[in-house]
Amino acid sequence: MENDIIETVDRIVLEKGKAVEAVIPILQEIQNHYNYLPKEALQRVCETTDITPSRIYGISTFYTQFRHKPVGKHIIKVCVGTACHVKGAMLVYDSFRRNLNLKDNEETDADGQFTIEKVACLGCCTIAPVVQIGSITYGHVTSETVPEVISDFLLAKNGHPTGGTIPYVDSKEIQGEIRIGLGSCCVASGSSGVKEELEKILIKSKINVNVKHVGCVGICNQVPMLEVHKPGESPSYYTKIKPDEVREVIHRHFKPHNPFSRIKSNVYSFFEDLVFDSAPKSLRQYSSENTDTPVAEFLQGQINIATEHRGIIKPSDINEYRKLGGFSALSICLKVKTPSEVIDTIKNSGLRGRGGAGFPTGTKWQLVSNAVSDKKYVICNGDEGDPGAFMDRMLLESYPFRVIEGIIIAAYAVGANEGLFYIRAEYPLALIRIREALSICEKEGLLGNNILGTNFSFNLKIFEGAGAFVCGEETALIASVEGKRGYPTMRPPYPANEGLRGKPTLINNVETYSMVSWIIRNSAESFHNIGTKFSKGTKVFALAGKINRGGLIEVPMGITIRKIVEEIGGGIPNGKQFKAVQIGGPSGGCIPASMADTPIDYHSLIQVGAMMGSGGLIVLDETDCMVDIARYFLTFTQDQSCGRCTFCRIGTRRMLEILNKITSGKGTLADLDTLEKLAASTKRGSICGLGKSAPNPVLTTLKYFRDEYEAHINGHCPTGKCKEMITYDITDECIGCTKCAQRCPSDAIKAKPYELHHIDVEKCIKCDICKQICPVNAVVTK
Amino acid sequence: MIHLKINNQAITVPAGTSVLNAAKSIGIDIPTMCYLQGNSNHPSCMVCIVKNAKSGVLFPSCAMPVEQEMDIITNDDDVRNARKDALELLLSDHVGDCEAPCRTACPAFMDIPQMNRLIAQGKHLDALRVVKEEIALPFILGHICSAPCEKVCRRKQVDNPVSICLLKRFTAFNDSKNQLAFLPEKNQATNKKIAIIGAGLSGLACAFYLLKLGHNCVIFDSNSEAGGTLLQLSENELPKEVLKVEVDLIKAYGAEFRLNTTINPEIIKNEIKNSFNAIVFATGDITKSNLNDFGYSVSKTGLVADSDTYALDGTGLFACGSALHPLKMAVKAVAQGKEAAFSVNKFLGGMPVSNRYDRFNSKFGLLQPSEIDEYLKESVADDVITPKGGRLIGFTAEEAMLEAKRCMHCDCRKPDTCKLRLYADEYKIDRKKYSLGERKTLKKHFQHETVVYEPEKCIRCGLCIEITSKNRELTGLTYIGRGFDVRVDIPFNRELSEALTQTAKDCVDACPTGAISLKESNAKTERR
Repeated sequence: MENDIIETVDRIVLEKGKAVEAVIPILQEIQNHYNYLPKEALQRVCETTDITPSRIYGISTFYTQFRHKPVGKHIIKVCVGTACHVKGAMLVYDSFRRNLNLKDNEETDADGQFTIEKVACLGCCTIAPVVQIGSITYGHVTSETVPEVISDFLLAKNGHPTGGTIPYVDSKEIQGEIRIGLGSCCVASGSSGVKEELEKILIKSKINVNVKHVGCVGICNQVPMLEVHKPGESPSYYTKIKPDEVREVIHRHFKPHNPFSRIKSNVYSFFEDLVFDSAPKSLRQYSSENTDTPVAEFLQGQINIATEHRGIIKPSDINEYRKLGGFSALSICLKVKTPSEVIDTIKNSGLRGRGGAGFPTGTKWQLVSNAVSDKKYVICNGDEGDPGAFMDRMLLESYPFRVIEGIIIAAYAVGANEGLFYIRAEYPLALIRIREALSICEKEGLLGNNILGTNFSFNLKIFEGAGAFVCGEETALIASVEGKRGYPTMRPPYPANEGLRGKPTLINNVETYSMVSWIIRNSAESFHNIGTKFSKGTKVFALAGKINRGGLIEVPMGITIRKIVEEIGGGIPNGKQFKAVQIGGPSGGCIPASMADTPIDYHSLIQVGAMMGSGGLIVLDETDCMVDIARYFLTFTQDQSCGRCTFCRIGTRRMLEILNKITSGKGTLADLDTLEKLAASTKRGSICGLGKSAPNPVLTTLKYFRDEYEAHINGHCPTGKCKEMITYDITDECIGCTKCAQRCPSDAIKAKPYELHHIDVEKCIKCDICKQICPVNAVVTK
Repeated sequence: MIHLKINNQAITVPAGTSVLNAAKSIGIDIPTMCYLQGNSNHPSCMVCIVKNAKSGVLFPSCAMPVEQEMDIITNDDDVRNARKDALELLLSDHVGDCEAPCRTACPAFMDIPQMNRLIAQGKHLDALRVVKEEIALPFILGHICSAPCEKVCRRKQVDNPVSICLLKRFTAFNDSKNQLAFLPEKNQATNKKIAIIGAGLSGLACAFYLLKLGHNCVIFDSNSEAGGTLLQLSENELPKEVLKVEVDLIKAYGAEFRLNTTINPEIIKNEIKNSFNAIVFATGDITKSNLNDFGYSVSKTGLVADSDTYALDGTGLFACGSALHPLKMAVKAVAQGKEAAFSVNKFLGGMPVSNRYDRFNSKFGLLQPSEIDEYLKESVADDVITPKGGRLIGFTAEEAMLEAKRCMHCDCRKPDTCKLRLYADEYKIDRKKYSLGERKTLKKHFQHETVVYEPEKCIRCGLCIEITSKNRELTGLTYIGRGFDVRVDIPFNRELSEALTQTAKDCVDACPTGAISLKESNAKTERR
């Protein structure tokens, strides 16, 4: 063991270097190898590098990615992002703990099989609640289906290997093209199962069809989706497709060469188990010609700039990207425009930073360009950490070349020769795609020395973020790249003057860079013509929560909340009332349905107490408790606080404690007063954006839903969401089916066939299973 | 050079100066905890917050460089409230007592833990000096005090409280055997003369502190002996010899006793008023005296005096002890005599004596079970010592030292230099405003030779981390974790002695609170 550790660490150090800045990559590599950070390994690092014990401990305990204890064979990641939260992620988490017999603070089960952890957001919000075990992602998990998820995972582990190559059948006659999305949501919803099934059937039935893997199709809660394109026919869309439905889809459009293959109808239940989708079984086919279909409605009103060629483009195909105009903007910039002309174009377009604060992008570029230095850097901020936001992930996964093109243009404009892609380690697919794209670009002469034959040289590397929301703040991000704890620093100095390694540094977020090439190709005016007076162009939102059609949308600035919710999103499911939208994640706020006509732009959102944030948009319905939402976000921010300044470190914690008090029915009116004042002083007194915006969810819910706070103080949670304030009961509707009694994990319900059942409130642990499985909705909360 | 305004005052300072230092250069002191000249100032405490007058934005002045045309406000309500909030938040996360529970329970606010430590070290005279800072009559009280201090002694959670009262008696008794008994040095003579009516506990105590402050005292009493109600106690309760020892000491200190003298309104009016600068009524229960006839304002319980100053009016008349309200606790009478003396001193134009009772005091209540072990690190395991010679005789020196070692050092080692306490006083903070949630569990790192580290007193400023790292300590200190749970600790679970091999003293000096402090912190400021 000892020798092995020395060997392994030495190998890693050799590869990553001995400098202090290598600390995070070294730790990541050690953890990749051992699954955790053995103490001996850390000691060895200190012995052989410039990294001190103080630093290695400081770093490895700051970033959530790092573990100091060995873990089980498989890690169960329960997503507790916003969309998952409102759909019962905590009940799912509790259910896993129960099913694995975890006591107190235990995280690993007795057999060392599973370790459970909560993750801030897996970015699969449209199929919430989401759980990831190993490399398999399960969507729509409920506390009741947890045992099935576990056994399915174990089955999958021992059974079917996945993967396979794309089959191409030799033939002169290509009958058509079938497109399938392979973004993270699609894959989590079972698109790889559908893909395999599709390929299998095509091979067996010898149908000659092009299968094209495209990136995110945007309409994430209708996935897996198949698009069938056939000459002479208008394209057809099949949504929420399952592997066992693939056969029929294919046979609707294409004639097989082997007549017998149609008769065979195998049910590939394994693939179906890839995800427990509650979607109905019938085929959902929509023609592209009809405008009243969900797909058409979803796409209507959207403008694709960052997401240009959505659903068409294959993420890693540089030739296709080029065919569709890719890298022509870069070429124009490098060969025709001067850097200051590029900056002027961006300035004139009115583009503002899409990371949240909305700082004018052209001005930022100008500042970095003006800074005098022998060395400058460009950083792409892909540390998207908002629970309930997945725009950057989608853009990175689906349009890697577009993002890269934007970065190179920016580097040219500001005069930087080195760049960094900062991407969360929680986004494995995005990392793979970007890595692939970078190496293609290097081969194609788009990165490196003398790009496109010009004098301009630029290198771009990836830095994997180790899990700290605060690193989305630019100064904290720089600190973490430099091998420090992710502490934001006071500005000035701004990164534009003194950034990475003390040099002028441009930091923009993924979405901002994604807009650059479009602006160059289509002119500043075209971009400027979209949007409102002070907010130009489009904004990408991750639409999720209580909405019929969630997904990634790109809409013009100034669009109203109502239009997004009702038209693009198709309203609230299950006949429930629209209550509010939470916009901007933990930095944003809740805007009530009564203000749904608020246009979405930087200014209007600040006016109503929210902010653009990075673009998470969670729709809430009448069953969502607003105090619980406020508490949810505070739980997140106080967990993510770097812990440096007093207001954020202690202030957010105290606010959370007051909210906990209120949601457990112990709050007083005086608490509301303290909460409001503390929120105001935390907002004013914190150093960085995280602390300054953390009180927003509290302040907006207090402003628009004060009555709900007061109801809690009077001992009543109006929506029945706050676990400590509700009891479960069975009404006369009960038909005595005993299902609830059979599944109750705490023996709170006795099985009495054909009789009215009863819940022993003393024993009840409020896991919600009975309510979920009751066939006649006889279980109610009070 | 940068031109800016601070509190409307125009100044010019070199570029790169922080707002904090710019303010300092014109004599405006901004409170700060985490800032230390010579270190990278990474703001964390937020106590140095100031306001940009133009934008209304608050920011920490220590880390903000001056800019042209800045307009800064350092002390309006807005700014003060923000600082107050920061301090209240810091204190809500602070587990530790400024003063030990015994001391705050003592009506005379005697520094009990310090007395205990000195006795344990065999420095008995120094111990007595500490006692007499607050208690004029320790030998007497050592016999009759009801010892509220022992009722709150944390040692009770382990076994039995420390025998504080007997230890106090020991200091006085031990000294009484000396040829020259201890009397504290007096302030410069003032030539002011005070009449004290009544030679009971409060009168004697009042005289003691007035003498100490440099005044002259004459004590009147109608009895033939000094002692007031003490004279009624049995030999078992208070041996006459003990009373005599302490009365003689006060005589030796310079008090003039006029016994067998019954004071009436005429004497006051015709004799005393004219020849004395102030009069203190320490006459005891007014139902048992003739005070009703003096024409002063009287309530059901006694003379009516200002509750802060003990003044009957503005003409130099004062009262203390049971004359105001019959007292059951002897120590209260002694405490009031002292307080009245300070008040008289102020009336006579002397330097005000700092009133330690009013200082901010952080306290956290009972120890949790695991914390008892932490506290025992500073103590010994033995249960209470019973004086071999019986309770009346009290401790021998050896017994006293053993008993004193049982004290668990509940008080803070930096009660006068802790900035948290300093600013908590200045900003009149509400200690409990944000005391929500469970308090953190206390730990004491006691293994280092000279230094103690108490993490729950830490404000996470990181100065010590920087100092250890700059000085290339092998392990040094580090932040562990983040957010609310972040703490300063030693990497690889090493010991404090490995982390602070050469920087211990520097860290103690840099630490703005009592989190890192010297084990031996006997140097206490004396009451002036």
